[in-house]
Amino acid sequence: IRDPNNQVQVVKNLRICVNKVVLSCQPQEGAVTNVMTTGDYELNFSATTPWFEAYRENFLQSMPAADHEFLNHYLACLLVVSSTEAVPVEQFLKLSQEQHRIQHSGEYTNPKWFIPNTLKYYVLLHDTSEGDEQRADAVYEDMKQRYGPQGCYLLKMNSRTFSAEKDEQIPDPWSQYLHKNILRNQVSTVTLSKCTGRSLSSDVNCSARDPDVLVVGAGSHGACLTLNDHDHIRQFVQEFTFRGLLPHLEKNIRQLNDQLVSRKGLSRSLFTATKKWFGGGKVPEKNISEPKSTCGLLYPPEAPELQIRKMADLCFLVQHYELAYSCYHTAKKDFLSDQAMLYAAGALEMAAVSAFLQGGAPRPYPAHYMDTAIQTYKDVCKNMVLAERCALLSAEILKSQGKYSDAATLLIKMTSEDSDLRSALLLEQAAHCFINMRNPMVRKFAFHMILAGHRFSKAGQRRHALRCYCQAMQVYKDRGWSLAEDHINFTIGRQSFTLRQPDNAVIAFRQILINDSRQTATQQGAFLREYLYVYKSVIGASDISLPQLPLPCINSSATRVYFGHERRLAEGEKQAATHVSLDQEYDQDSSAMWCHLEEQLVASVNRGIVPANFQPTQYCLNNQTDNLRHPLAVVEEPIIVEVTFKNPLKVSLALSNLSLLWKFSSDGTSSSKETKTEDLTEETITNEETTAVGVGNVGHQTLDLMVVRGRQNLKILGPRLNLTKEDKMLIRHGPDRRLDPIITPPMPLMEVFFLQFPTALLCGEIRKAYVEFCNVSGVALCGLRVASTHPDFFTFGSQATTPLTPISPNSAENCSAYKTLATALQPGSVASEVLVSADDFSQPSGVIEIPIDGNTLQSGESTQLPLWLRGPDEEGVHEINFLFYYESTEKGLKISHRVLRHTVFICASRSLSVQASACRSSVPPHHCLDDKGSGGTLVFVDVENINTSEGGVREFHIVQVSSSSQHWRLHKYINPDKDKGLSGIMGHLCFISSWFISISKYSLLSTSDAVEKYTFADLNLGNERIISSSTPCGDFFFRSSSRTSSIGKSQGSLPTEDRGSDITNIVKKCNELDLNIIIIWKAYVVEDNKQLILEGQLHVALQTIGKEASSLTPKEEAQEMVLLKFKSELPPPVVLPCAELSQLIKTNLHYPETYTHPFVQDSLCLVPVTLTLSNCSLAQVDVIIDLKHKSSSPESLEVHSSFAWVGQTQYKLQLKPQEVLGLSLQACFLRAGVYNLNTPQVFAKPSEQSAMCETSQQTASPALIIINNTCDACWPADRTT
Amino acid sequence: MAVCIAVIAKENYPLYIRSVPTQNELKFHYTVHTSLDVVEEKISAVGKSIGDQRELYLGLLYPTEDYKVYGYVTNSKVKFVIVVDSSNTSLRDNEIRSMFRKLHNSFTDVMCNPFHNPGDSIQSKAFDGIVSGMMVQTG
Repeated sequence: IRDPNNQVQVVKNLRICVNKVVLSCQPQEGAVTNVMTTGDYELNFSATTPWFEAYRENFLQSMPAADHEFLNHYLACLLVVSSTEAVPVEQFLKLSQEQHRIQHSGEYTNPKWFIPNTLKYYVLLHDTSEGDEQRADAVYEDMKQRYGPQGCYLLKMNSRTFSAEKDEQIPDPWSQYLHKNILRNQVSTVTLSKCTGRSLSSDVNCSARDPDVLVVGAGSHGACLTLNDHDHIRQFVQEFTFRGLLPHLEKNIRQLNDQLVSRKGLSRSLFTATKKWFGGGKVPEKNISEPKSTCGLLYPPEAPELQIRKMADLCFLVQHYELAYSCYHTAKKDFLSDQAMLYAAGALEMAAVSAFLQGGAPRPYPAHYMDTAIQTYKDVCKNMVLAERCALLSAEILKSQGKYSDAATLLIKMTSEDSDLRSALLLEQAAHCFINMRNPMVRKFAFHMILAGHRFSKAGQRRHALRCYCQAMQVYKDRGWSLAEDHINFTIGRQSFTLRQPDNAVIAFRQILINDSRQTATQQGAFLREYLYVYKSVIGASDISLPQLPLPCINSSATRVYFGHERRLAEGEKQAATHVSLDQEYDQDSSAMWCHLEEQLVASVNRGIVPANFQPTQYCLNNQTDNLRHPLAVVEEPIIVEVTFKNPLKVSLALSNLSLLWKFSSDGTSSSKETKTEDLTEETITNEETTAVGVGNVGHQTLDLMVVRGRQNLKILGPRLNLTKEDKMLIRHGPDRRLDPIITPPMPLMEVFFLQFPTALLCGEIRKAYVEFCNVSGVALCGLRVASTHPDFFTFGSQATTPLTPISPNSAENCSAYKTLATALQPGSVASEVLVSADDFSQPSGVIEIPIDGNTLQSGESTQLPLWLRGPDEEGVHEINFLFYYESTEKGLKISHRVLRHTVFICASRSLSVQASACRSSVPPHHCLDDKGSGGTLVFVDVENINTSEGGVREFHIVQVSSSSQHWRLHKYINPDKDKGLSGIMGHLCFISSWFISISKYSLLSTSDAVEKYTFADLNLGNERIISSSTPCGDFFFRSSSRTSSIGKSQGSLPTEDRGSDITNIVKKCNELDLNIIIIWKAYVVEDNKQLILEGQLHVALQTIGKEASSLTPKEEAQEMVLLKFKSELPPPVVLPCAELSQLIKTNLHYPETYTHPFVQDSLCLVPVTLTLSNCSLAQVDVIIDLKHKSSSPESLEVHSSFAWVGQTQYKLQLKPQEVLGLSLQACFLRAGVYNLNTPQVFAKPSEQSAMCETSQQTASPALIIINNTCDACWPADRTT
Repeated sequence: MAVCIAVIAKENYPLYIRSVPTQNELKFHYTVHTSLDVVEEKISAVGKSIGDQRELYLGLLYPTEDYKVYGYVTNSKVKFVIVVDSSNTSLRDNEIRSMFRKLHNSFTDVMCNPFHNPGDSIQSKAFDGIVSGMMVQTG
């Protein structure tokens, strides 16, 4: 049985829905979203907020009817009786009575009725599928008679049977009304929904919508209705509206209008009059008698003011907005003047709405009406529900007018503490207002979204809260507002977790941890705990694949990859080659140096050519090495990966059970790694090392972290490219193949150990050490070579001259590094000579082949070799790098060779300084033992002890002086202080001793010899002779001389070219002297109360006669020489410096040292003197000899006068290259005495030279002759000084 | 006087934020961030009228229940925001203006530091001192 008051039920249903609807209308995934780009913000938010509209709808519908307004009072009542009813007419009667009772008895406060005599419309519902049509018609006729044709209707419809076809044809007619809020224009929905909320009268402008029918078609939403039925319903509604409702309303309006008009004059004057008269007393009385709770007057229902309001409402319902507005306006005035605030607010509100709805309005929308109304509702009446309704209406109106900011402030104002849900919804709407503004206020949007989210979460609407936060996140993300971002992320994480979206939660929490957090430690700790909790639950849910861990951060570019075993550094007294280790910092210069050394090695292997595809071997890859190639790793050798972890938090993390995951692809482009675990509880950066084991066991290791397990991918971003223009403009990264090694077949692996390797040496000290090569792999190796930055530092000895030294180091403990021969010769004896070819010692380009037996080292084999070291010539700490090279005996492997690095630091301290100079000797030929030589040269050697360390070195002994030259050799050793002997050479601090060592030119060996041969002449000062030409000594000599001579050559070539003339060439040639002097010394060192004997050798290269050469700092001296030469270059070639040209001719006077002559018998003493002229140059020289040349110096004059040359006094000669010519002269003495015979003036010039540039040749030391008288000596009188 | 002072870069990320009640830092961050909307609105409104010589001081951006937010924009579009307690009524517009000027001078000094990388957050101690001076002054 249909209840005529079923509206009540509907309202109730809807009210129940209020709570549900919001929940049911969740934001649809992938629903209409609006992508909006504001400035740099890209926001993605849902344009529609169906939940809000539903809320609004339900809110308005559920508004209880109020006394002060009539809009949701019922206008009419449909009385529906089914035709199947036994006595339909009676039923109608009954219903009618009941309605009357409801309206007038006062039992029911709800619903409220608009007008006392409510329009009753009688509907007979007839089901066409069953029931009797005639009977229905009959009843209808009866009804017509009883209630008049306008007041009743027969509605025929199908309610039971389902007809299949109509399901297809008709879309659910209710659907559009059920979801109308989505489809409709918002503003119209407001008004319409107001109407629908209000009983039957509402369907003024929409045809088939009627809450009543809801009951009819209940459940299936009219699924049973046929097309005909729809028409029927439509007809019925039309009928009802036009026949019943509208006329009824018209009638009422007219009635009310009449009442008002008739009453107007009277009531106005009456009211005003009464007010005038009683105004003083009446108003305050009202205020007192009716306290604030009632908010002003309460009118009786029949009050004229209410009649106006009623009429306004009616007009509003029939869409007569203009009239409605004016009515509301007058009503408002009346209410206001009566201080009936509630009524006034209602009237204000409706006036504003009708003014808005008027459309094409003659008057602007009175926004302040709304504001006042809201204010009144809120403050005066304390009626929040009404205030909210008003605010919602107002906001919608403002929005439709584009006044978003006003709408937003209005909405924000409406938020309050009492209702979280309402506040949340309103805030969200406000946020949407902000974003919809002409200049979208993104940040305000975000902020209010967060506020809304907060309120939502307080109201228990988690899903909505999450959505709000997510939308706000779009604004805050990656913009440096880390604190806010963290907060949002944290909330998102929490909300997602409670909503069972742990994945999202993990992502959100991750974000917090990854970001450079500015939070405090406790806060971070809380975040971390929360994260771990969530993470654990995620892990628990699925343990198939390990998720990524956000912490600790891996500094991926700092990852270092090391190929090979961890080295043993020392084994007993063996000292392993340093090679490469992870402890070493990468250094650009040193790696370039190593690369250069390797290049040298490879070049020496490939006959001097570096192959095009040469790539330096890299053992340790880091972010600075060249990582473009795939590195090569050898099978069964470990790969060590060093990963740098960073903990960005202020909370410490404990890492344990770390392991490295790896993947091996069968095409051989990857490798396997396993891990060593280490426990760390450090707060800051911690390095974790992982070692690797061979290929084969493809296992699955995991990374454990604190309580949770997880992993982190190790992905290395290559370096940023910066070569091309495109690279510079974009951010591009090159490939980085550090972690993708290629595994190659087994290769030999060598280890090198050093024994007795010193760390400190004196300059020039010779020390013997041993080196052990050990092949630790299963493959034989060969081609062992070494290159070094200091090739003159060490030698393995040359094969030709290597003496049989003991291989084992033990027996050689006290032995000298030198090979010695015991000699019984007296010191200062004639030097012994050895002729050696330079080829035996020379090594090309600093690469030394290591002489091992058979040139191969089988697997597991090791061999020991002696190694001689010589302290560098310069003091200080020297870094000496060795690069050992070896290759597999098998050819054609991917890795052609392998290298091993070794670095030593040698501290060199000063020992001796040797200064040597050579000068032409004018020694008479008979002093020279070797007559073949054209002449000797005197070499002065000064040795100075410059060792400054007090404690260490006691004394130095010069053991031997050796020479090495192609043309010269040391001949004899002359010490001026004979008695000092050996002991005199003992150098205490700064003791300088000198020798004169005569050398003679070795004319037998001319330069015509194709092979460079060197003569080693040893001049031993002790009783053993050291064979300087043999291994350690000779090796080092050649090493160091090759270095110095190359310097000399490069510098010497410059001036000769510049001159163009060959004079200087000639001149220089004759001054040239390539003599190398080797000083071998012994030093007595006290160390730990033990006396040690150290040995060493120093080299001095004499290149020019008259120039001093030193063992110290040869480079500096070389530079000085350059400067001198450039100076001599400045004068024009014609005026050649005398000093140089004076060396062209060497003169010697040969005469008896003492000559006894009986002056008594013969007053004239004639002494035959031979003047030997030797041309030192390789050119023809014209010589003029003038015996009578007067020197300007008075001193010589004095000597002159005492004797005279007799015979021819002037000669003109031409000397062929290197010709030696003797000239017989005669000197005539008058008295006995000592005479200086060296008076002849010799002028010489190269004969090709046209210009006269004769230069007087040097006058050597005075050649003294003693003339004795036979009987009595009168020599003291004539002695000259 | 001020409870929060913020310097915001041209690209709207914070260069410097300091607030006095540290426990409620988040709130101030939100407040300052939200105020940027108003700042931008004001800038665009001013920009339309007379281009070059605009007032750097933007005045009161918006009041909240407890605070007043003032804004200031340098010519290089760096924004200064000062949040002041609403209860502090003694503060006049002129004083706020002078605070901003002081802040601007100090900021210029920071920018003149050749070791400061523009765009980095401000670490300068001198600037910090000026800011804390402005915050403490009220007591």
